Amino acid sequence: MQSKAGYLTGKLIELILTLLLVSLLVFTAFSIIPGDTARVMLGPQASESQVDLLRAQLGLDKPLPVRYGEWLWGLLSFNPGTSYAYNMSVSELIGQRLPVTLGMSAIAMVMVIIISYPLAILSARKPGRLGDQICSVIGHVLFAIPPYVASLLLILLASSLFSLLTVGTYVKPSDDFLGYVGCLLLPSFAIALPKIAMSFKFLRSSIIEQRNADYVRTSKSHGLSDLKILVRHVLPNSNVSSITIISIILSDILGGSLIVEQVFNLPGLGRLLLSAISRRDFPLLSGIVFYLALITVLLYFISDIASSLADPRIRLK
Amino acid sequence: MAHHIHIVKVHHLTLSFPTRKDPNPKPVLDDVDFGIRDGEILGLIGNSGSGKTMTSLAIAGLLPESASIVSGSIKFAGKNLLEMNPKERRAMLGKDIGMIFQEPSTALDPLMTCGKQLEEVLTAHKDSSMTPEDRHKTIISMLGTVGFATPEEICGRYPHQLSGGQRQRVLIAGAALLKPRLLICDEPTSSLDTVTTVSILGLLKDLCHKLHITILFISHDLSAVRGFCDRVMVMKDGKIIDKDTTSDILNNPKNTYTAELLTNARLDTRILGFEPATVDYSRSPVLTANGITAGYGRSLFERVKTKSADNNILHDVSLEVFPNEILGLIGSSGCGKTTLIRSLLGLLPHSGIVNIKSSSIGAIFQDPVSCLNPAHTIKWHMAEALKASDKLKAFAGSGTRAERNSRILARITAVLEECGLGAEYLLRHPKELSGGQRQRVAIAMCLIQEPSLIIADEPFSSLDASSSAELLKLMTDINRERHTAFLLITHNIHIVRQICPRVLVMDNGRICEEGTTSDVLNDPKSDCTSRLLEAERQIHGV
Repeated sequence: MQSKAGYLTGKLIELILTLLLVSLLVFTAFSIIPGDTARVMLGPQASESQVDLLRAQLGLDKPLPVRYGEWLWGLLSFNPGTSYAYNMSVSELIGQRLPVTLGMSAIAMVMVIIISYPLAILSARKPGRLGDQICSVIGHVLFAIPPYVASLLLILLASSLFSLLTVGTYVKPSDDFLGYVGCLLLPSFAIALPKIAMSFKFLRSSIIEQRNADYVRTSKSHGLSDLKILVRHVLPNSNVSSITIISIILSDILGGSLIVEQVFNLPGLGRLLLSAISRRDFPLLSGIVFYLALITVLLYFISDIASSLADPRIRLK
Repeated sequence: MAHHIHIVKVHHLTLSFPTRKDPNPKPVLDDVDFGIRDGEILGLIGNSGSGKTMTSLAIAGLLPESASIVSGSIKFAGKNLLEMNPKERRAMLGKDIGMIFQEPSTALDPLMTCGKQLEEVLTAHKDSSMTPEDRHKTIISMLGTVGFATPEEICGRYPHQLSGGQRQRVLIAGAALLKPRLLICDEPTSSLDTVTTVSILGLLKDLCHKLHITILFISHDLSAVRGFCDRVMVMKDGKIIDKDTTSDILNNPKNTYTAELLTNARLDTRILGFEPATVDYSRSPVLTANGITAGYGRSLFERVKTKSADNNILHDVSLEVFPNEILGLIGSSGCGKTTLIRSLLGLLPHSGIVNIKSSSIGAIFQDPVSCLNPAHTIKWHMAEALKASDKLKAFAGSGTRAERNSRILARITAVLEECGLGAEYLLRHPKELSGGQRQRVAIAMCLIQEPSLIIADEPFSSLDASSSAELLKLMTDINRERHTAFLLITHNIHIVRQICPRVLVMDNGRICEEGTTSDVLNDPKSDCTSRLLEAERQIHGV
């Protein structure tokens, strides 16, 4: 029999191996793309010797394995070097932008959960009825709208009709927390819309499936009320499969926010990433990509642990 | 006859499933009229689709929403159940009427410990005098009553940590916890092996006497009621067509349909006409397996952690199947029968040698419902099976595409007909077929590949007695006419006795006994065979 600690250790080793693989992929990808960073930085007029000098300064003349080792150590000690373009520490740059991206993702996730759960439960009560069908149709439409289109529509709506929410300005959370949340509401909603539809569809079918399970019949024969059966049996069982979906949605939201930032003119990681790509700013670029990958892998790790807590069959096979 | 107090009186009950298209469909229950006497065990027997389960659900008040009661009444201890509101009926469930169902493996919530699930029965019927300690005591004592030696331990276990028989005991404990007056058992033993079945039936009988619980016992197997039920009713097409004491029904059936059910249940060879082929043991076997050892995979980290642990389910199993032979393989659940099949079919990595003489080997499985693709027609299934074998070219021959297709179609039709399914089944979908018909399709899919061996893994266990008897006849016909060998895995020793010349007995992943059927079953050498035979004797009285 497998112990809880054994399961955790196994998952941790998996996590570390995944991260190493990710780091190797990121490093190789950036090493084989054509283009000379030093040349780009100095411009076409610079002489060959100047370029060589800069290359040595940046450590680009060392052999690849050494560079990989140094880069990886930098990442792990949260000091991935200095950005070529901004001339600032990469961790400081990311630290500045992270609250925007993370805040937006968190708000979007909360929206997904508080909207899709109640709707799914209501819809699954009487599948096939009018309310359920209307929800399903709206869900399909929402699912088909990409976040950047939704962003544009929302900007139009908010600025022309309501003029309630500020668009295009960013307030730091340290200055005014409510203002910070306020300016992230619309972009978060734009990201959340298709995910709400996705999570609604999934939850609905999973609840319907669980409602027809044999143990629900047993509970009925024990005289339990419908509400008790829903809360104590149906929802926990449908949660087991939803946890995985929720973690996939969350990592999708992180990725989706990079584009929406662009539309809403928010100083988040997405815009930093774009500028890093156009300027061949390797330390910054690899730092952002690696840390985003780290967050994603951690999310999956947490969701695995959460699944094992929710389902005794996973931890004790 | 003395006057009996009826605890349940079903009075001219008619029930149907009206739809918008068809507001007056053929009733599922047609003028059902019977009473359950206080303290008796009443058997309700019938083939699948005869309306047994609907009758029980109507009494319990758990009918699906689409069902509508056209006329009649159900009285429980003098109260008319159909006049009660849903809340009052729910209050009766668990308290006055308990239920247990067919499939214990899925009837418990996998995320909740058994103790918690039993506690829900008590908390659902709010009894303010009960403290949590009282509840725990009640549960522990009931778990003891249903035969658990260590009830405390069972309380803390999750359903997946219990065997099928243990789960059924937990479910019985839940149903009997509040000492209901009526316990409805809907095929409680049909997915359990013979040894477990005997112990569960013994337990139910015990509960009936000790706690004075009246039992309505539903089954499709007429032979299972022997020595268990006081009276038996036989149902067919929504009507009760026969009602008598158990001994009269079994020994002296007055109704022709009851007699037919009885013949099927007993698998009377002379009446049903099973004629398996004779086997020549001097010929070389079609399948030879030598020293098979197999188990289920562990993940990489588990393997690193525990290198030496023996996870194997099969230990050094060797067997031979000869041409024309129907080889029986029996054993209680969990002994490794299914793992052996998976190894033989190459579905599971294993060590040891499997030698198959012919090009193809067919397999049919336990559950005909999920074995067929619901999206496709029978014709598609047959064509797929033909494509998968190397026989396609041989049958299609040369010529234009249309010519080849018509030859393939003719071949498919011929095989289906051989399996007792006419051409009208070609375009049907699996959901339009009964369990027995689906199992026929599974056999036809094997036959079209012309295998020299078909492995059948408990093909009868989800079929009622009549379908089983028909399927068995088909198998023996194929065996006789096509000289196809069968490896038949079953927990029904009676079937083995009737059609298998040779039998293997498995226990704990090893073959513990092997020999001709008469030798093994009349003079068992090993403990596990004796155990199986003893259970068989108790159920069927053979």
